[in-house]
Amino acid sequence: MQDHVPPGITIVKSDSLEEWQMDIKVLDENPLYKGHTYRLKFTFNNKYPIEPPEVQFMDLPTTSETPRPIPMHPHIYSNGIICLDLLSTIGWSPVQTVESVCMSLQSMLTANTRDERPPGDSEFVAYNRRRIRDIPFVYEDDNV
Amino acid sequence: MNIQDFLAFDSEANSDHDMPVDLRSLDFVSSYDSHLMCPICHCPLIQPARLQCDHVFCQKCLRSAITTFRSADSEEFPCPSCRTPTSHVSTNVPRLLINMCDEIQVRCPFLAEGCQEIVPRGHIQSHVDKYCGHRLMPCPDESCDKMTRKKDLQQEERCMHSYYQCSRCEQDIMEQDYERELKKHIETCTEVVSPCVASKYGCAAKIRRAEIAAHEQSCPLVSIGPYLESQNTRLNSLELTMRHLQQRNEIFEDGLSNIRSKLLESARASEGHLNSGRAAAEGERGRQNQVDDLDDSMNSSNVFSSNATTYLLSLHESLREEVSQMSHALTDLDARASMTIMNECLRIKEDMAHTNAAVNSVRMQVQWLMNPRLHNGARAGGMRTNASAAGTESPRSQLTSTSAPGPSQAAGPSLGPLRPRRPSDSGREGTKL
Repeated sequence: MQDHVPPGITIVKSDSLEEWQMDIKVLDENPLYKGHTYRLKFTFNNKYPIEPPEVQFMDLPTTSETPRPIPMHPHIYSNGIICLDLLSTIGWSPVQTVESVCMSLQSMLTANTRDERPPGDSEFVAYNRRRIRDIPFVYEDDNV
Repeated sequence: MNIQDFLAFDSEANSDHDMPVDLRSLDFVSSYDSHLMCPICHCPLIQPARLQCDHVFCQKCLRSAITTFRSADSEEFPCPSCRTPTSHVSTNVPRLLINMCDEIQVRCPFLAEGCQEIVPRGHIQSHVDKYCGHRLMPCPDESCDKMTRKKDLQQEERCMHSYYQCSRCEQDIMEQDYERELKKHIETCTEVVSPCVASKYGCAAKIRRAEIAAHEQSCPLVSIGPYLESQNTRLNSLELTMRHLQQRNEIFEDGLSNIRSKLLESARASEGHLNSGRAAAEGERGRQNQVDDLDDSMNSSNVFSSNATTYLLSLHESLREEVSQMSHALTDLDARASMTIMNECLRIKEDMAHTNAAVNSVRMQVQWLMNPRLHNGARAGGMRTNASAAGTESPRSQLTSTSAPGPSQAAGPSLGPLRPRRPSDSGREGTKL
């Protein structure tokens, strides 16, 4: 789908139409994310691109060959789930692509200055068993 | 038209083709501008529709987007690209856009069945409907649920899906794939007996394909195969160079014989003017100069050797001619000498005959003269006692000495002792006189 990926984005796994994995980097001097690479997992259902893919960060331990932490952000839970209207059924547009989602997330990280998790992160992580698409997010913050 | 009408109007579903081609799954051969791509399905636009904000999508993509994103039965929905609220969809898009999308080259969807055709996307539906012989059709046999290529549908409309078994292994081949699959199968069937790769170098082994690898590892001819190969190529190149050299050699020989014949002509011409050996030697020198001149015009490497040989050859030729001339002269001289000798001989013979005749006449005269004397001598022998006989004898001897001085003088005194030595004389005397 993408022959020329933008800078800071690399395709890790794209061999099936079920799941893709991408690595993204924040390219500017933001001290929160400088020098780190984050792994994104895209899970497509058969209605893509009419329906959005499920997108979340993957946590690979620092002992592995390619350590991939979960970036610190007020809208990213520590289990990798991202609260972004773009990725919800309401905010999604079929015009979006894997590439455009990656770029949106890059810019979301770049613009962030707060080194914190969303409120109620530990409870959410501990009790959430639902699928991402079923989580009733409230998109109250328009500053990201 | 408004959204309700647009949703009700499904152009793609209305098509009356018996086998509609899925234009989104086609294999595009030529590259196309990304602006011709529907932002939703990422394929070149298929039956495009335009929104109020001028964004263009496939009708089908737009329809599914509207049904998903329109909030329950409202008259508006947000444009997928720019989220502008839209209530009106236009199916009138510029003809240019449709033409550009339809002229993109695609492969026939029956490539897997063997159709190599590449046609513009706008023609692919008619290609599949009318022209493609590889299109899959239901088997004419009602009980068979398989598909057959259109071109394989036989006149008698029988089922082509019975299986044939490979004569060597267990694999089955379907009748409709017979030609194509059989070739493929023979190349891969492990049971087929095939010769060793070194068979051209003399390895006589013919083994089943499954075991040939083991044989080829141990076959000594396989291991020296590369060496033989290189030797073969060397031989070939050497033969080639040899042929080249032969050709060059022929050319040189032609040139040489040309030069030789020219030289002989010129030598013969100069020979005509020269008669003596010395002049010939001078001519030889002159010819040598000619040869040198000729050689100057030649620039090949064999100038020197050809120079020497031609010189020797011309020398030999001129000498031979001199010899033949001399032999001519010799025979001339011989004839002339023998003629003169003959003439001389004849003359001498004539002279001798003359002298003979003369001698004979002289002898006759002498004998005629001697006869009376002999008679007288015989009578005088009887009368020797008579002194008068001696007196009469003297005037007779006087006469003979004057008429024939030589013989008479010799015969005169010697007649007495000579007489008994020639007894024939007396016998002859009677007949001759």
